[in-house]
Amino acid sequence: MSRLPTAAVASAAVLLLVLAVTGGSAHAAAPDDNETDDSGLALLRQAAGAARAESYYGTQFVTSWSPHGSVSSLIEITSTPGLGMTVRPTVTDPEASGTLERVDPASPAGGLVAPQDEMIDVMARNYQVVAAGGGQVCGRPSSVVHVVRPGGADAARYWIDDASGVILRREILDGRGRLASASAFIDFRSTAAAPKIAAATDTSVYAAPDVLALQAKGWTFPSVLPGRLELFSASEAEGGYLRLGYSDGLSVISVFVQPGTLDEEGLGGWRSERRGGHTIWVRDSVEQELIWASGGHVYTVFTDAPADMVDAAVAALPHDPEPGVWERLGRGAQAVFAWVNPFE
Amino acid sequence: MSHLGERVSALVDGELNHHERERALAHLTFCADCRSEVEAMRALKGRLRALPGPSMPTDLTMSLLRMGEPGGPLPPRMRPFPDGSSQEKSAPAFGGVSLPGPYSFAPVDNRPRRGVGFGLTGPGRGQRSSTRRKVGYVAAGVASAAVAIGTLFVVGGSDPKPVVPPVEMFKQQHNTTVPYGTPASAVPRP
Ligand SMILES: [Zn+2]
Repeated sequence: MSRLPTAAVASAAVLLLVLAVTGGSAHAAAPDDNETDDSGLALLRQAAGAARAESYYGTQFVTSWSPHGSVSSLIEITSTPGLGMTVRPTVTDPEASGTLERVDPASPAGGLVAPQDEMIDVMARNYQVVAAGGGQVCGRPSSVVHVVRPGGADAARYWIDDASGVILRREILDGRGRLASASAFIDFRSTAAAPKIAAATDTSVYAAPDVLALQAKGWTFPSVLPGRLELFSASEAEGGYLRLGYSDGLSVISVFVQPGTLDEEGLGGWRSERRGGHTIWVRDSVEQELIWASGGHVYTVFTDAPADMVDAAVAALPHDPEPGVWERLGRGAQAVFAWVNPFE
Repeated sequence: MSHLGERVSALVDGELNHHERERALAHLTFCADCRSEVEAMRALKGRLRALPGPSMPTDLTMSLLRMGEPGGPLPPRMRPFPDGSSQEKSAPAFGGVSLPGPYSFAPVDNRPRRGVGFGLTGPGRGQRSSTRRKVGYVAAGVASAAVAIGTLFVVGGSDPKPVVPPVEMFKQQHNTTVPYGTPASAVPRP
């Protein structure tokens, strides 16, 4: 695929203007000085509930920005209580996945518009969540919620439909206050509640990952990553790989760790980059996708987090040389010694 | 930016290149006319190809009637997209006006922190391995070097197996993750 970063950046700039113009008065609204606490939390929790309870459809524009430019997609969303969302790309995109059905609105595929209570708690621990007045999205009066970093810069902004309570627009900003990703309805219809299918009540209680059990199996992994990212799930999958999930309450970083070396020949559609002296394989997508090899393991990362956050998180994960003869000798010696000394 | 015009078809067919597509999509965010053109074109092509697909609220009849109208002159064909290669990366020009890019990145210090902090290793590895290795060498030294080396190679295994990550499966797992919840079951339509 030919890449023309300048044009991509130009189109990103155009989109920024578009979003700024269509975003209504929210940007211009002065923050309410009285709202110094987490006044937006209740709004976000209500919005999470509305995303599950309301019946709606519409067209959404999704863009993410990276140092390489922007990637956009236009998707159609139909949300039915009890059945989740159907997410369909509007135009053919060879890079995009096809139609997804029964998407959970709390998942990245569902735009994280119905985060679990625990995720909102994490957001509230890491950021200040404040009500920031009113705005408009596709002509609909909305309540704006700003998620603010300790320094005072926005980490995210939400526009919540006053009529339905559904999140109409969501922006994630990087550490410098630049847009990292934005999803916004450009057409939204709240549909009359069809005969309500009893929404399955989620009675499951979130259980923290069993880190000790995985460590006992020999896996070691960080429970936090830079950028306030905390581990919310860790499991060993049947295929013998480790699956890790980190979040700051706004974004999700999934890390997959497989034993082995990286078969670079098999990476069709990926291109290699040098970062900090290491080779990282990346692919153009609305989300960030990265692969690298380190010390006999292959790491694959998928995330919707801002690029600066991803860079810091990836840098904090291992980048060791591939195991050579001496390391394999060492590993063998270790195993031999374990036989010699069964108490070790 | 003028209307998409004949590029609607290429957009629907996925035949635009990356930046053409980006700009076409950006245009669609504020142009309801072109959006309905895209909808109509997609519906039409969908019917012609008899492709299965969910029926979305598209007024196909009206769109077809409108497409059949002689109508006014076609919107002027858009100027080719600016050639990115001929412009400075940091100052993309659009419509003759230089716009700041959303990213003007300072290089990120991406060097891994070795030895401290965020270690992540798999089974049979980790910080203990270096001390264990030394002790292991001592143990190995007891035996005949030749035999030991052979044994160690066998136990240590051959080169780690080359793998290609199952990226689509991983991507699917990432996309359907419900943070702090139970996994969802999003089903891709075949
Ligand atoms: Zn148009």
